[in-house]
Formats: sequence, C-alpha cells, structure tokens
Amino acid sequence: MTISWLQAALLGLFACLASMPGMGGTTIGNYTLGRPLVGGLVCGLILGDLKTGIMCGVAMQLVYIALVTPGGTVSADVRAVSYIGIPLAMVAVHAQGLVATSAGAANLAKSMGTLVGTIGTVLFYGTATLNLVWQHMGWTAVEKGNFKKLYQVDWGWPWLSHLVFSFLPTLIMCKLGASAVTALKIALPMDGIPMKTLFTVGALLPCVGIAILLKQIVTSVLDFVPFFVGFTLAASLQLNLVACAVISLIFALLFYEGDMAKLAKAAGGLATTDFDDEDEEDI
Amino acid sequence: MAKKISKKTLTRSFHHWFYGNLTCFSQEHMQTFGYLTSMLPIVEELYDKKEDQAKAMHTYTAFFNTEPQLGALIVGVTAGLEEARANDPEGVDEETINGLRAGLMGPIAGIGDSLIVGTLIPVILGIALGLSTGGSPLGAIFYIVVWNLLAYFGMRFAYFKGYELGDKAVEFLVGPKGQAIRKSISIIGGMVIGAVAATWVPINTALKLRNSSGKVYLDLQNQLNSVYPSFLTALFIIFCWWLMAKKNMSPIKVMLLLVVIALIGVLTGFFDPGLKY
Repeated sequence: MTISWLQAALLGLFACLASMPGMGGTTIGNYTLGRPLVGGLVCGLILGDLKTGIMCGVAMQLVYIALVTPGGTVSADVRAVSYIGIPLAMVAVHAQGLVATSAGAANLAKSMGTLVGTIGTVLFYGTATLNLVWQHMGWTAVEKGNFKKLYQVDWGWPWLSHLVFSFLPTLIMCKLGASAVTALKIALPMDGIPMKTLFTVGALLPCVGIAILLKQIVTSVLDFVPFFVGFTLAASLQLNLVACAVISLIFALLFYEGDMAKLAKAAGGLATTDFDDEDEEDI
Repeated sequence: MAKKISKKTLTRSFHHWFYGNLTCFSQEHMQTFGYLTSMLPIVEELYDKKEDQAKAMHTYTAFFNTEPQLGALIVGVTAGLEEARANDPEGVDEETINGLRAGLMGPIAGIGDSLIVGTLIPVILGIALGLSTGGSPLGAIFYIVVWNLLAYFGMRFAYFKGYELGDKAVEFLVGPKGQAIRKSISIIGGMVIGAVAATWVPINTALKLRNSSGKVYLDLQNQLNSVYPSFLTALFIIFCWWLMAKKNMSPIKVMLLLVVIALIGVLTGFFDPGLKY
C-alpha cells in the first residue's frame, strides 16, 4: 500500500479541520472528525481500504477514548493520531501482511498511532503560538473599533497556522512515512524482540486511555463499583455494549430516585438553605 | 421603548459560538476571540452609536476559557445581560457581566469536562465501537450522527435557556437536583466504560509452565480466567489509574513505563503476541 501526493494532501486538509484548535470548530472538527473512530472511516475512504481504516480507527479510539484536555494541556494531538497515525498504521498493517480484523493488526496500529500522536503534541503548541499573531491583529482592530475584522481573525487567518502546522506536517509525514513503515518489515522481523514488544505495548496502551477516564469519574474508591459491574457484565456474562448500557439505566434511575428522596426529606426539615454557590456570586 | 434582541440575531450569535469558539485558540487568550465574534452581532443590534458598541465590546476582551459545549450557556447568559445593560446602563455594568462570566467559567468547565467529554462522548463512542465489529462503518456513522445532533441541539438549548433564565440556568446545573442527575449519569458512564474495557482491551499472558516431559502443568491464563475473566486487563487499568491519580504521573510517562513492562514481559515469556510472517 502506498500513499499518493493527492491522498496525503486530502489527509492534510482533514488534519486542518480536525485539530484542537481546528478549523472545523470544536463539535464538528475536534469532537467528530478528530475522533480516531471517525478518522478511521475518513482515512479508509481516502486510501481506498475501508475495512483496514475502520479497524485501525477502532484500535486507536480505545487508546484515546478519553481525550480530555483540561485547561488546554494535551498529551496527544488528534490531528496527528487520526490523520498521520492511522494512515501510517494502515500502511504498516498491509506491509506486515496482517489480516485487518486480527488482534495483531489492532496492536500494531495502537503502537504506531500512539507514537505519532505523542510526537504530534508539538503541532498543537505550534498552532496555538502562531495564532497569537492573528490575535495581535485582532486587538489592534478592536482598539480602532474595526470589529468586522474579528471574523477574519477568528475564522480566516488561523487557516495559515494550520497550513504550517497541520497540512504540511501531515502531507510530508504521510508521504515519506509510508515508505519508512514499509521498510520496517525488512529491518525488524515479526518474531524478534522489538516487534513482539511493539505488539505487546499496543495491547497495553488502551489501559492508559481508560485510566484517564476513570481519573475523571472516580473520586472515592466506591466510584469503582459501576466500572467493575460493567466490566463483569461484559467479561463474565459476555453481554455486548448496548446491553450493558441498557442495564446501566436502571442503576442510574435508582440512584436518581434515591437522591431525590433524600432532597425531598431535607427540604421538608429545613427551608431551602442549600444554595451555597449563590452566596459566592453575591460577593 | 425597551430594546430586545431579535431571534435571528441570537441564532447568529449562537452559530458564531458553535463554530468559532476555539478556531483562533492560543494559550494566552484561549476562547476570548470566539466570545468576541459571538457577541458582535448582539452588540451591533443593541447599540447604534459606534462608541457605545466599542464600550460594550470592550467587556468581552477579558480572558475566557471553559468547556465550549456547555459553555454555550454562559454566552446565552451574557446575551441576556447585554440586553439588560442596553436598557438600563445603571443597573448592569461591565463589572457585573465580567464578574459573572469569570465566576461561571470554572464550574461550567468542570461539569462540562466530566459530563460531556468524560461521560457522554465515551458512552456514544463505546456503543459505536460495538457497532464497528469486523470493520463495519456503521459505528463511525452512528457516532457522527448521534453526537452532532445531541451537541448542536443541546448547545442551542443551553444558549437559549441561558438567555431566558440568566444565572438561574446555572443554578439548576450546580444545584442539588443537577448534582443528582450528574451522579446518575456518571453511573451510566462508569458501567459503559467498564464494558468497553472488558470487550476491547484483551490482555493475555502466554506463560505456561511445563514439567520435564514437556507437559503443561500450569497455564496461567486459564487459571486467571477461572478466577475472574479478563483479570489482567482489570489489573493493568487499576495500575495505570493508580500511577496517574495517586502518583501524579503524566500519561506519557505511564506509556513509557508500559513499554518497559512490555519489553520485560516479552523477554521473560510472560507476553507473546505469537505472530509470524
């Protein structure tokens, strides 16, 4: 499998749209096109192998299931994960002669994509820094009362940041990376220690993504209970995800009713004195 | 005559936020420019004089950053406040608006990050992953449709609720009823993520102990499965969580540590992907 200049350019365009901060906007860009699952679909269509694209996207999505960027700090860059990592992973899967739906293909994709995604963090800081130039133009316009120019600053000029930090890196890395990845096959045999390690790392990596998510929802040890109930339903009872989601609804409902009953009881005993953040706002 | 922002202008302002909240992001000003472009149509409609417009726009040059989806609520609240200021410049001033904005962006970011980015998106993704078995594009299409519909109409709802109710809309979110809803949603999130982990993250050991005649007397993976299926997956997730939550390790460091563990595991025969050309 090779990547042509045109294909690489198309991937570059999607990288511009999908980044955080990207030209597709947050909802459509970052949270839709930037998700590896959707990236897998797009890369599969562009490179003409939908199945491998989707499977690489699924594998990568597990690593980045929780791409939360609290306070604007990033540990990986979605444009690099989805539009450099996935295409190169697809090429690698083909070069190694793996079946697209096999566990080996998924693990290779995870290692490859995560490596590229981590390096891609540079692109995030590059874009955000170059945007300062346009913002400076924006401040000058605001001082002069020339407000219409804000639209150019917010929607137009950042395209230039993306030309430099999304389009060109994607174009070059996809085009040149493809031959490098193919050459890897000859350099590193699949049953050697480096490749075995690479595949094993791929299997372990999603644990980090899931742990990041747990960090968001677990504040006390008891918060692990829903996680392990879901885990057990799937691992021991072999239920699929939709079934687990439906079962979780009844627990959510019970908790909600319980909390509301507590509130009603509290409201009966006390007058409504529980708006503690209202006080803060009045000061 | 009291000034009122037209529905059309509010919709325009919302669309500016929906699209442009982060397009011109920098570490220094973050979402400030997205905010300015969303307030511009409103300011232009409310004030005829150039200097009044300039005075109003100056308010929104203050730093702003929050979770952009749920943050539509704050933009809606300030649209309502700007309208109140246009009608009664004595009652509402720049300080009132910016005090409220600065006070809201923290809590809304916290709730938005855990509710939308930490729960809603992973749950939709989890279900979408389940639909992608065998390389089917159905999962990705499901995610694109469901997420965008929920996000667009949800944000629109938040924006207009913010405009109508002002800071009461926020009280609902951070108040006890909102908290109860958030808690029950996090239960759904936790269970679905658990199921995603068990379904899609297989970690198996290849360790088998043989006696002198080559007969396997301990197959560790089988033993583990009879205790608790996917035991190693659960163990590694807890381990990563512990490193990040309790030891404050960065995700990249944890990933590097996993590379070391994988190498040791391969060398000792604990891990073996079992692939050949």
